[in-house]
Amino acid sequence: MELLRPSSLDELDGGVFVAGGTEVVPLLRDGILQTTSLVDLRAIVPRGVRDGRIGAGTTLAELESAQVPDALREACRLAASPQLRRMGTVGGNLLQSTRCWYWRLRYPCRLHGGDRCHAAEGEHREHAIFANDFCVSAHPSDVAAALLALDARLHTSRRNLPLAALYRLPDEADRRTTTLEPGEAILEIEVPPAEASVYLKAMDRRRWSFPQVGVAAARTGARTRIAFAGVAPIPWLLDGETVDAATPLPRTAWKVDVARALLRRALAELG
Amino acid sequence: MARLIRTEKEVEGRFEEVWLVVEEDPLSQWPAGPRDVVGRAATRKDALERVRGEARFTADIRLPGMLHAAVLRSPYAHARAARVDLAPALALPGVRAAIGPDDAPGLETEAGYVGAPVAAVAAETDAQARAGAAAIAVEWEQLEIVVDPEEAVERGLLHGEPERYERGDFDDAVAHADVVVEGTYTTSVVLHNALETHQSVCEWVGDRLDVYTSTQYVWGVREEVAKGLGIAPDKVRVVCEYMGGGFGAKNSAGEFTFAAAVLARATGRPVRCALTRREENVAAGNRNGTIQKLTAAARSDGTIVALGGEFINALGWDGWSASTEGPMKMLYACDNVRTVRSTAKINTPPMKAFRAPGFVEGTFGLECIVDELAKKLDLDPLEMRRKNDATSNDGTPYSSKNLAECYARAEKHWERRHEVRARSDARWKRGVGMASQVWYGGGGPPSYAWTRVGSDGRIVVVTAMQDIGTGTRTAMAQIAAEELGVPLDRVEVALGDTARGPYATLSAGSSTTPSVGPAVRAAAADAKRQIVEIAAQRYDLEERVLDIRDATIVSADGNLSVDLTEFLSMLGNAQILGKGARGPNPTGMSVLTFGVQVVEVAVDVETGEVRVERVAAIHDVGRIINPLGAESQVEGGIIQGIGHTLSEQRLLDPETGRVLTTTLDAYRVPTIADVPEIVCEFVDEPDAHLTNLGSKGLGEPPIVPIAAAIGNAIRDATGADVHGLPITREEMLRALKERRGAPAAV
Repeated sequence: MELLRPSSLDELDGGVFVAGGTEVVPLLRDGILQTTSLVDLRAIVPRGVRDGRIGAGTTLAELESAQVPDALREACRLAASPQLRRMGTVGGNLLQSTRCWYWRLRYPCRLHGGDRCHAAEGEHREHAIFANDFCVSAHPSDVAAALLALDARLHTSRRNLPLAALYRLPDEADRRTTTLEPGEAILEIEVPPAEASVYLKAMDRRRWSFPQVGVAAARTGARTRIAFAGVAPIPWLLDGETVDAATPLPRTAWKVDVARALLRRALAELG
Repeated sequence: MARLIRTEKEVEGRFEEVWLVVEEDPLSQWPAGPRDVVGRAATRKDALERVRGEARFTADIRLPGMLHAAVLRSPYAHARAARVDLAPALALPGVRAAIGPDDAPGLETEAGYVGAPVAAVAAETDAQARAGAAAIAVEWEQLEIVVDPEEAVERGLLHGEPERYERGDFDDAVAHADVVVEGTYTTSVVLHNALETHQSVCEWVGDRLDVYTSTQYVWGVREEVAKGLGIAPDKVRVVCEYMGGGFGAKNSAGEFTFAAAVLARATGRPVRCALTRREENVAAGNRNGTIQKLTAAARSDGTIVALGGEFINALGWDGWSASTEGPMKMLYACDNVRTVRSTAKINTPPMKAFRAPGFVEGTFGLECIVDELAKKLDLDPLEMRRKNDATSNDGTPYSSKNLAECYARAEKHWERRHEVRARSDARWKRGVGMASQVWYGGGGPPSYAWTRVGSDGRIVVVTAMQDIGTGTRTAMAQIAAEELGVPLDRVEVALGDTARGPYATLSAGSSTTPSVGPAVRAAAADAKRQIVEIAAQRYDLEERVLDIRDATIVSADGNLSVDLTEFLSMLGNAQILGKGARGPNPTGMSVLTFGVQVVEVAVDVETGEVRVERVAAIHDVGRIINPLGAESQVEGGIIQGIGHTLSEQRLLDPETGRVLTTTLDAYRVPTIADVPEIVCEFVDEPDAHLTNLGSKGLGEPPIVPIAAAIGNAIRDATGADVHGLPITREEMLRALKERRGAPAAV
């Protein structure tokens, strides 16, 4: 495997992109990602926060203490461990793959192109409660939920799009969970100001845990946007529906209770 | 004088009748309480080496020309390797040798679980070895798998016959009791996940084999490897100088050691075989899960009249069946006890001992149901325990027991419950719970130690024990320093090498300090006696008036005061060699450890989050050698126990029997943020019948009561009964709903 270190966007030509490596390296090691060239994006992706624009190469540790809305800061603070936050970037965080153990162990599941959802039939106690009829995996990004609630927009090497448009639910025809094209890199994240925002997270230990349920809420004027982490195959915007719309599996009913309680608290905190 | 005795030997609650050659132990115990060195907090002798990265663990061993080995493991939970073709592996770059089933002990044709070792490959790099192992072509015949323990019991898929125990008349006692409580309790599989994975480096030197291995028992590995390879034990040298944790999983050699030894012989080069973290979570052993159907009956005054249990130990493919019913038989003075334990043989990874095997699981069920009984009788759980405290171990007297003192010291922590509960609000419900602990930990013979005193005035304790991370190296140094009347920094301990010291016990069953400590003291006393003999001749005084205090040779009348180092400088190249042996355990007595823990929890009744806020642990383990090291054992046991109580969960795919939680983000051990305030107290009363020290072991006792104490605190806080470990949010919310009378979520 070769490691490429391009110095401009023009040099991007295939390969697997890597920045902090906290997600890509384990996926390569487990054989889920396979490539002959690894492309280190760090020299070409912006890093740092300026005027509501966050460079995709900004680390979670940097965002934790940056001038960004509370929900985003808190989502970063509650993510992973200090060591991982110092390496992991916000751009990479948005593109994390599910922690579904079947997917991670390379069971030939639907997300891997197969014809079964092993988790739905087997162990799924940490899995999705929304949009789970095809694949019950849960998306692990705290940061994505926060940015979704904050109505962030992405600037990629090819286009501008609302964050919600980065994600797509996998289906029979297309198993991908993002709309990012091969060779396309996230460069910046534009976060509009919010009057108040909050991120709350349930874990089964106090730190270093992916969200069982994470809820982000952001208020601007009369409008409040709510998004969840860990409840659907993609970061989940609660759009005109309530938690009652959840469709839990036998062993994920408890997550509905947790989601409801955290949402109530989040809205109370927003005031 | 050496004496041949027939005695009962106990390890991890397992007993066997053996012939033992023991030496008398003529030293009388020191008075209770802190001495000059023993009983005083000492930082670890090897603290600096450890924090500087200088301590050489097995994982650090890199021998010149060393190859790396990887193990091919079964992808099926039950299958037979009909044909194993090593050729594709041998054709790969860097691969130097490959072995298949029956080429080394531990590599087998029949795989009884996903991860069972089948073949191994040695190559120039670890990556090449793993590629080689993956390239081995195996023709598998798949066999039926059973992963459900209750199904296994129904179908008679058992390890051995069910174990039955009965005293008194259980049925009659239940029939005449005022109150009867029944319940089913479950405990889950727990993984050791020591920081250092299972691993060995093997090197042949002529016809001798050097084995560097991460082990709790260098002598056991020596014996096992010699037997497995068909060579004399004195041809095998086993070294484990520093060890990155075992918790019971590293009592035997393991397939990785045999694979490394056989591949080293085949290639003529040293071979390292180290499990990855993923392999560690799959194939390195675990605490087995249990299902416990329990009955507890009492009179209205709180006297427990009957205890009964039907236990299933869900053992997995291999392992041994620990005494899950042990606490039920031993903790309370109950006349009528009936237990039966079935051991399910299922296609899951093997059980290995894990910190108080059986008693951790059994104490969870017993101490929860006793609290439920107390609640039904409207009795104080502490009073209930005091009232029913056992006065003998099923008729055998104790060598010492201070559980009543533990309860007395628990009072002030127990009294906090009113104030703790009062701090509850709509979201956080707070409560306090307790649980008691009984376990073994007396150690036993044989174990030996030598002391070597040189003309530089320094003392080396030589004993081929291992310090598995518990700080026993420091404790041994303290014992020798105390006996010889020198400061701790004068003493070094040379350990962990079967070629460079006498036999010492395995470090399991809380036995290192109570087994080796008395031998070290005897060896130090022997050296001291010789120093005094020489001093008596040099200064023309009687031996009986001489002593060594503060590294000074002194006479009783105070006229003689000679610096020890100065005196010893006349030795030149001569050395004083002391030797000592562990004497026998007291006959006709039960040597046990006791304790009680009081836990404060907060439960978020809306999200099911459980936080342990404070743990007070009071343990009775005889004399404390190093209070600092002892506290560290208690803290470690409690933290590890909080893990299996709240967050650690090994999940299996029910269809394939494959472990799904193979990494530490999925198998969740506690982080430092999960650690509560921990208050330790020790009764610190020497066991007058046990050895020249009166010390018992402490490695295991602290992990025994924590799960039940947390469960009882949760009931105190919320009224909800939790019956299954781990108490995840799912289980907590289920129990809360049950408490409110609503049907649990389905």
